Order: sequence, then C-alpha cells, then structure tokens
Amino acid sequence: MNKPLEPILTVSVPPHVHCGRTIKGYMIETIAALMPAALMATYMFGMGALRVMALSCAVAVTTEAICNKIMGRKQSIDDFSGLLTGLLFSFLLPASAPWWLVTVGAASSIILGKMIFGGLGASPLCAPVVGWAVCRISWGTVMDTNATMLSSNLPAPLQQLKYFGLDSIQSIQSSTLLIGEQLGGLGEVQVIALLLGGAFLLIRRHVRWEIPTGFIAGILITTWIYQLIDPTTYAPPMFHLLAGGTIFGAFFLATDSASSPIGLIPCLLFGLIAGTMVIIIRVYGIYPDGVPFAILLTNLFTPLLDRIRPKPFGGPFSYSSKDEEGATCEKC
Amino acid sequence: MTTFSFSLQTGETGPLEKGSEPDRLRIPIPCHTPILSEGDQVLVGTKIAIANHDGSGDMHAPMAGIIQDILPYSMLIKVNGKDRAKTKKAPSADGAPLKEWLRDMGAQVKNIDKAPILIINAVPPEPGISIYDPLLRDYRKTLELGLETVQRIVKPSKMFLVAAKGNRANAFANCTVMHVAPTYPNGIDEMVIKAVTGQEVLPDAPPDDTVILSVSDLYFIGRIMETGRPLTETIMTIGNRNYLIRVGTPVGFLAEQAGATVQPGDRIVMGGPMRGLTAINLEQGVGKDTTGLQILRKDESLKTTDNFCLGCGECERHCPARIMPGMISRCAEFKQFKRAEDFHIHSCIECGICGYWCKAQRPLLQYIRLAKYELALLRKDETPSDMIVQAETGQAGEKE
Repeated sequence: MNKPLEPILTVSVPPHVHCGRTIKGYMIETIAALMPAALMATYMFGMGALRVMALSCAVAVTTEAICNKIMGRKQSIDDFSGLLTGLLFSFLLPASAPWWLVTVGAASSIILGKMIFGGLGASPLCAPVVGWAVCRISWGTVMDTNATMLSSNLPAPLQQLKYFGLDSIQSIQSSTLLIGEQLGGLGEVQVIALLLGGAFLLIRRHVRWEIPTGFIAGILITTWIYQLIDPTTYAPPMFHLLAGGTIFGAFFLATDSASSPIGLIPCLLFGLIAGTMVIIIRVYGIYPDGVPFAILLTNLFTPLLDRIRPKPFGGPFSYSSKDEEGATCEKC
Repeated sequence: MTTFSFSLQTGETGPLEKGSEPDRLRIPIPCHTPILSEGDQVLVGTKIAIANHDGSGDMHAPMAGIIQDILPYSMLIKVNGKDRAKTKKAPSADGAPLKEWLRDMGAQVKNIDKAPILIINAVPPEPGISIYDPLLRDYRKTLELGLETVQRIVKPSKMFLVAAKGNRANAFANCTVMHVAPTYPNGIDEMVIKAVTGQEVLPDAPPDDTVILSVSDLYFIGRIMETGRPLTETIMTIGNRNYLIRVGTPVGFLAEQAGATVQPGDRIVMGGPMRGLTAINLEQGVGKDTTGLQILRKDESLKTTDNFCLGCGECERHCPARIMPGMISRCAEFKQFKRAEDFHIHSCIECGICGYWCKAQRPLLQYIRLAKYELALLRKDETPSDMIVQAETGQAGEKE
C-alpha cells in the first residue's frame, strides 16, 4: 500500500459533502441585495451618486489588491468582499462628496477597517463604518449631507430635528421618508429599496433575523420611552425608524459577519444595544445621525456578548481544569 | 452538492445480499499485532492478529489463503481455498468470560459492561446508510440471540430500542421503543443516549450506567453465537442495496462489482459522506466498522480551502454540541491548542456538520481533530506513533 496505484484518489477528512455556499456567493448576493438601493440612489441624486459609488468601489478593490501585494498575501479581491465594502461605504456618503473624500474614505475602510486586522473575517469593527468615521471626524463639513446639497429641495429630516426642533419635521410624511425622498447618505436613505434587499438576505439566510429585529426593537423602544418623557420634544418612533440610515444599519452594517456576535441572545442584545445607542446619539450627540457611530461602539461589545454561551454538550470539560479540580473547588 | 439531505429515513430496502468473493483480501490491522508470518496458510476463521487495545476484537481470516504480505496497517491474503477452521463453543458462564470469548471471536466489546440501561441504536448512523433495516426485518432470530447474549453480560434493568421516526422498529421482548426525529446527527451514539436518558455524555467518556450497541453489533454477536465462527464480515450499504462483505475486501473490487468506474481525483468514502473515511487507493480493504461505500466525484465533493474564518457563525448555529467550531479552528490554525479547550473542544461529537455549512469551506473537523490530537499529546506522555495509530481509528483523546 506504500506505492501509489492508479487511479490516484482524493484522500481527505470528512465531511465529504458541502452545502454549496461560498464566500464569493455570499458577497455577490449581498451586493445584489444592495442593487435596488443603488438604482434608487442614482434616480434620486443623479449621476453624482453613481460617480461616488463607482469611485468608492474601484478604490476599495484597488486598495485591497495593493495591501495584499505589500503584505505578501494571496490575492483575495476575487471574493468581492472589497467591492462590497466599497459599495457599503459609498452608501454612507452624500452624493456630492468630492473625489478625494471618497478615495480617502474607501481606502481607509479597507486599510484601517479590514486589512490591518488581517483581512476578511478578522476585523473587530464594521469596515465601511471605520472609513466613514475617519471622514466624518476629519472633514465634517464636506461630509455634512445637508450643507453640501443646498441645491436640492429634499428635506433633511435628522438635521432639521436636531437644529430646528420637532415642529420642523411635522410636515414630513412617513411615506416620503419610506421612498427615500430625504437627504442623507446616498444609499442609506433608500429605505424601501433597502427593506427589499434586507428581505432578500433574510430569505436567503445570509442575514439572521436576530440582529435586525433587536436593532429595530432597540430604536422603537428607546424612542417610545423618550416620547413618554416628553412628546413635544422627542420625535415619534416611526420617524426615527425611517429617517437616516436606520434600516441600512439594521440589515447591512450591524449584521457584518466578523464584527457581530453569534447566537440568539448575544445577537438580540447586540441589536438592542446598537438601536438604543442610535437614539441616544441622535438625541444628545453632536451628530445628527447616530447609526454608524452606534454600530462602531456596539462592535466593541461583540467579544463580551460572545461570552454568553449555552452550556456545551456534556461539558464544560477541559484537561487542565480537570487536573486542578480539587484546587478550583476549594477556591470557590 | 445541494441535493444532499440530512434525512435518515431509509425507505424500503431490499434483502441483505452476500458480497462476491474477491481473490485477495487486504485486512486492516491498525490496532492489532499479527501472530502469523508471511507464507503461512490460513483457513476460514483462523486467528491472524491480536488486538492491542482492551475490548477490541481480534482479527480472523475471512477466507482461506496464504498470507502474502504483512504491512504495519494491513495484511494481504491471497485466497486459495475454502477450508474452514473448527467452530468454537461459547462458555456457559455469564459476564466476563463470555465477554472475553466474544472479544476473542472478533466482536467489539469495549462498551459492553454491567449497566442498568441497555440502548439498541437502530437510527441510521448517517444519511444514505440503511444497514439496520434489512437486519431488523429479516434476521430477528439472530438479533434476538445477540440481544440475549449481550443481556448475559450487561444484565440491564431497562432496555430501549431507538429508531428514527418513519423507519422500521419492532421491539424485542422487554424492550421499550423510542423514536427520534429522522435527521442527521440523531443517529450518533451520544445523541441517542441523550434522547433516551436525557443525559449528555462527553464523546470520549462513555457513561457508567448505559451501554449502547448498534443493531449490527447485535447481529454480529448473534451470528457468532449461532455459528460458533468468528466475526469476519461487515454490513455495508452500496448504492441502495445492503451487502454482507468480508473484512478486507478491496474497495476497488467492490466498486467494480457495483459497476462503478473510478476516475482520478475521486473519493472512495468508506462509511457515510459526513463521517466516512476516504480510501487511499483501490486496494484498501474494508474494516469491521465500515458501514457503506460511496464514490464521490472530484467536482461534487467538498474542496477545502485555507480561507480565513469569516466569523459568520453558520457552524455554530448548526452545531449539535453547542460549541464554536469556527473559533476552535482558528485556535488550531495558529497552534493555540490549549486555547481550544476554552471553546469546549472536548464536547465535539465529530459529526462534520460544521464543515458542511462552512461558507469559507474550511476543513473544520480536521482542525478540531488536530487540536484534540495535540491536546492528547500534551496531556499524556505517550509516544507519538502510538497516538497516530489511535487517531487513525478515531480514538484520539480517548480516556482510559
């Protein structure tokens, strides 16, 4: 049995069958889920939006390729994860964003959000949001969707709420917000299109229901509590749900696989914390829309939340703890 | 392989057929010491190797012939006749002498000890394996004899027959029938024990109060008692049919008999697609624990990659042992084996479901086994070669 015999067989460990899902397939389907929103964005904001999305994607993919080269790693851009990060990042930008902002943001999404931690799957933070945070803090004025889109006559609900109070948003209909007639990140405000994409991901089971549910519940519960405190100062739950990037965050940013926890209770808690944080930032923070920062902050809770685990089968058991069983018992 | 189903329903199976006689046998002896030498003539049933581990059965020649070659893990017998060794009579004593006699006759008796609960596992071990069905239908006498014999050792106060819902299950005397959902991995012993007693046991630590045996174990013990001849056969599902195959029959011979052609790069899986071993070449012989034979083409089987773990959590959501295979694989990947214990690696029942669902197509079960093996090495000061032997038979990390 020592010398190989024809035909040479494949020898491998089980399992020998697979569900057929791949990283590439997951990325492609997520990008497909974003397509309705991308089309809506182009329709709403014109060629400017298309320009930002295309540039962001191109920069993200190029940056990843260069990073892989420098780090001496196998080229990984063909799994489309860089493309997805670029697209998600562009969704957070105003359609009027200048080219250098898009370039810097997309590049930092990839470098600081992903590659520096070791690439896909290793990032503790949601990569597109990292790029967004870099731009938002460094160049606040050009990132301001309201100030840079003065020519547009669309309402900017969150800015109006922040600077002019609850009265200023009374005239804004929920349906207007739902179809995306509001100023904000070019893709994140396309609420109905994003809901469509989110539903697709849920049906395809690329996204589990726990995080979006927790996120939306967190938003609704927190706004409801604020409304109970003072209905004349705080906006209603529906408004917060539909304005800004809530839906985008719930389905596409918070569910980022590497930076979100796993398991029923951790996921629900993760969503709840993020949703609550969104409203707290919107109410008290200096930024009109709290979604990206809320997700970034909640990402930091992930390692803690992941510690909430069911009891393992027949366990817990480990050689080291068994050897010291007497000692540990005395201690406790 | 999106057509793969986890269903354990066997449907109607045909009778148990006898496998054809090959002209050579390559008997696996991974944990055995050969007692004969090259050139020796053996009869049907001559003992050829003694088990190294307590409770494993000795190996006997399934056919008469001349020992041509003895390799570290296998023995080649050239078949040349039909002469049989003399039959042996079972001891009349119960308990230990009977157990030792069965072991001597080639049966696996490691888990058979005195215990209050005896479980007979009739749930198919894996999808596509239907070996228990024809036994339960056509060989009740043999099974009953096997059960009686086992009872003489175990002396249980309660007996359970566990079957998958929808599959055949006719109770034996004094035996309660239980049904479990017909989905993989419900046929794995640990899952069956949990279904019956509600007790979760670690895979490497069999419970003191429960003995679990499969239907084929009963059949083999029954056959030994009936005929007085040693166990030299196994039952395998090949295609949709079930065969009684002589231990050591080369897989290439079986494939040929089944009319299948093997192309370069294919996998010959001995057992089921979730937990089976792949044959290294067409000459490899089947063992006593082989339950099936499947040929998976190059492009339809899982091609593992060294992709990084995405952290998507699919493995963890599907894990019946409620552990984090993804994190364990990361630990193993970077040789942090001790850290794998923090993720409860010892709870893993090695069902392979994590690898089935992994989007990154990481060899998760391989990483887990590697970590278990390394941990066992770290813990016990055993010689590596001895451990490799154990690992090959899937007993790495076993508690003694």
